[in-house]
Amino acid sequence: MANGSPTAPGISFPRQTFAKLTPGPFLHAHLKQQEPIRASGRSPEDFRKPNINTGSLTHSNGSAVVRVGDTAIVCGVRAEILLASDIPHPPRDDLHEDDLVEDLGLLVPNLELSTGCSPAHLPGSAPGTLAQSLSYRILSLINASNLVRPSDLAVLYTEPQTEDDTPAEEASKVTKAYWTLYIDILCIALDGNPFDAAWAAVIAALQNTLLPKAWWDPDREAVLCSPLAADARQLQLNDVPIASTFAVFSTASPLKRRNEFDSWILADPDSFEEDLCKESLTIVVASKKASCGGILRLEKTGGSVIGKVSMQQCVRMAEDRWSEWKAVMGG
Amino acid sequence: MGPDISHHPLAGADGSATISSNLYSVLAAVNGPIEVQRRDELPEEAAIEVNIRPASGVGGPRERWLESVVTAVLRSVLLVHMHPRTLIQVTLQLTTGPTLKLKNATRDISVLPSLVNAAFLALVDGGLPLQSTVTAVLLAVSGEEVISIDPAEKELAGCKSVHALAYTQHGDLLLNESAGNFNLEVWEEVADRAEKACVAAVALASEDDEMANGTAEAAPWLRRELEEKARDAVAWRDHT
Repeated sequence: MANGSPTAPGISFPRQTFAKLTPGPFLHAHLKQQEPIRASGRSPEDFRKPNINTGSLTHSNGSAVVRVGDTAIVCGVRAEILLASDIPHPPRDDLHEDDLVEDLGLLVPNLELSTGCSPAHLPGSAPGTLAQSLSYRILSLINASNLVRPSDLAVLYTEPQTEDDTPAEEASKVTKAYWTLYIDILCIALDGNPFDAAWAAVIAALQNTLLPKAWWDPDREAVLCSPLAADARQLQLNDVPIASTFAVFSTASPLKRRNEFDSWILADPDSFEEDLCKESLTIVVASKKASCGGILRLEKTGGSVIGKVSMQQCVRMAEDRWSEWKAVMGG
Repeated sequence: MGPDISHHPLAGADGSATISSNLYSVLAAVNGPIEVQRRDELPEEAAIEVNIRPASGVGGPRERWLESVVTAVLRSVLLVHMHPRTLIQVTLQLTTGPTLKLKNATRDISVLPSLVNAAFLALVDGGLPLQSTVTAVLLAVSGEEVISIDPAEKELAGCKSVHALAYTQHGDLLLNESAGNFNLEVWEEVADRAEKACVAAVALASEDDEMANGTAEAAPWLRRELEEKARDAVAWRDHT
């Protein structure tokens, strides 16, 4: 300086203060380095390592606790009997077997966020838009992915042959009742990306579900169940679809030129990153079989960064993540 | 050649439009920028609220999910920084729907393009500042991997996967909702066809193009509607 006094010292903040005051530039400062890194220390394409514990709830037919980073989700499956005589509009005969689960509503999921899982979700309040939206996405995916065969949920009764029937005629089997599975998903800790963890909890809990042996008693006109654990059978899933969510951090703004921006695709965002990213992409993949490509769902909204090229990269990452989850689930 | 559109059917709303395709009819109304509740107020941008009312009933989790999808798309289209601490309220009322029984996932995705297009037309009618256009289109892929744009009800009922995509006039992908069972190659072809149709809907058309391929896909229906609207808006000048 002209009069010889030293320049004023620059203001420097500790990390936490910088993150609280200006979270956007804080994350941007991390990502724009030579080797992009996130505030949590992960690289942009790193998913968090999942952890699953099944069978911990004693009063459910099946249960699972899934931990992905600091996000923890508990899922319990409870089976109840739905008598065929109680169904108000019996399904049409021409209804395909795959559509029966959706038509009768045999799998009923509900996701609860109002548990105090994060400061944004106080316990006891009515489900907000996010909880309702997640519940609906899970219901839609459960029905569309044909997880459970309706025949596994049916309680059949072989009608006894009457005097009029010829002995050679086969006895007719009638479905007297269905098992309805109530799938309750509770978020006990939320640190971003509830959908992936909730979906994995649903799959793990369904795989863990034991259905008691049930039969129709014609004299009592009721469904009876065996209390013996040895008679119960494990529910078999047709497939193990896995969801992977990505968030996009972008510096684009309508105040700047269209092509003047930087963007990074962050796999498995935590809550700090979710608050800063407007664009998100969820990919659900299942195993590839003949004539079935393997992608069950693509959901992308909120921005224009992800196009054809980025989608290819994300699908590849989702397929790798599918193998990782399958190994953890052991299915 | 493009859906049936009527402009400003509601005199009480700031902007309104109806759009009718072969599957759905939607009445869209926009109010904004209006007063916002203190708890929803954003200090540097406008808050966007979308309300979707189904053809019958009051709406539940399905409508909340559709609203969150449409809100995310409109946030990329509206210039929200121009009206901070206000609310832009969009109401979408479904008036008719398909008669055949469709799978729930197909039904949910097939309604999205009509909702997005109706919302955009209502925003234009209301004179809200927009940073780009958005055009949404529905595609269905049959079991034999035949892709059809704006499919008929029968094609939707038997399709293997259904896709709703929305693009800006520059070809930027704003919305992609796909459900069913498909592979990446099929999706890329779907995305190409959708981009061509959406960009063509607002493209400057020359007379030669129209004569050469009079296909429904290439018709610039959105540009024609917006130009007609602009012409009607200044028609009073010619009468004075």
